[in-house]
Amino acid sequence: MKIIIVGCGRVGSRLALALDQAGNEVTIIDERVAAFDRLGNDFHGNMVVGTGIDLGVLRRAGIEHADAFASVTNGDNRNLMAAQIAQVVFRVPRVITRIYDPIREEVYRELGLETVCSTTLIADLIQGYVVDGVNRAHATPAAAEPAASR
Amino acid sequence: MTEERPYVLIIGGGKVGYYLAKHLIERDYEVTLVEKDRERAEWIEHQLGSVIVMVGDGDEMSFLATTGIERAGVVIGCTGDDEDNLIACQLAKRKFKVPRTIARVNNPVNVEVFTSLGIDAPISATELLMGLIESELVGSEMVRGVAVKSTGASLVDVALPNLSVLAGRRLKDVALPDGAAIVCIVRRGQPVVPRPEEAILPDDELIVYSRQMDVEEVRRSLS
Repeated sequence: MKIIIVGCGRVGSRLALALDQAGNEVTIIDERVAAFDRLGNDFHGNMVVGTGIDLGVLRRAGIEHADAFASVTNGDNRNLMAAQIAQVVFRVPRVITRIYDPIREEVYRELGLETVCSTTLIADLIQGYVVDGVNRAHATPAAAEPAASR
Repeated sequence: MTEERPYVLIIGGGKVGYYLAKHLIERDYEVTLVEKDRERAEWIEHQLGSVIVMVGDGDEMSFLATTGIERAGVVIGCTGDDEDNLIACQLAKRKFKVPRTIARVNNPVNVEVFTSLGIDAPISATELLMGLIESELVGSEMVRGVAVKSTGASLVDVALPNLSVLAGRRLKDVALPDGAAIVCIVRRGQPVVPRPEEAILPDDELIVYSRQMDVEEVRRSLS
């Protein structure tokens, strides 16, 4: 699969390395060259310097032929704009975006955007442990599912 | 906007937001301005007096709900960041049913992106400035079109190079794409009404109205 990731922070770099190791063709975009240091020497994918909300940068990253697109910077609005460009302008088949603000997540999910809200995910997981003593973050994926699907 | 004073919500109190608020208040609009930075917000309130400045994040749903946004006739995204203007306008439109959204666009390429993502009027100051500056450059054959509101049409300014193939021809004999029209002749710095019998002189400048998509064709038919 050809995958584009916007944002090479902790989440983005980890995601890029995992998808790269799994044999995908990964291109990662970040404004700061230094951010790519997080990828280490084992990353085989492409790195593009620029902002993920610029059509030119996205084209350079090969968005016209991408199978999947993930925006995972630490800015909600930037992620939402990048994801909408991928979905509406370039019609990438699979688009997902990370969001911190639960209310904004709700609005954009209603609008047909695939989202992951770290705030609600983590709050739910911690609440689960506090209430019933089960840490679903370290349980099997099947057990973690109910917490993830609010 | 059934009230006597239309209510306008401006997101972002930088230079553009500040002067816009000032301008609209003078024209008797009811204006609320949203600014993230408390110090800046207090300064604006002090300068303008009669404007309500709220300190908060124009992209935060819960905060927007406290601004009376649902009775706003227009929301204007005026920050220096395209993504913030886009999201503020989308939330206004989709969550609060605001009838009209206007967004300042900083990267000119994003004008089309904003349109396809549902913003009623994306405005690129950069593009407008480039067009105006280009029109003042001596020797430029033709300048970038200035968009006419959000109609998809453009005003294009064409200066004829000397010995132009068009010199001497009457306006009615100039072939232009469908829907395009010469709306003004600029002759030695003065506007001349473009009557059909008017003949084009070598140093004339023509201002042409055309659809945005036909601008290139206009360029070709006049050179």
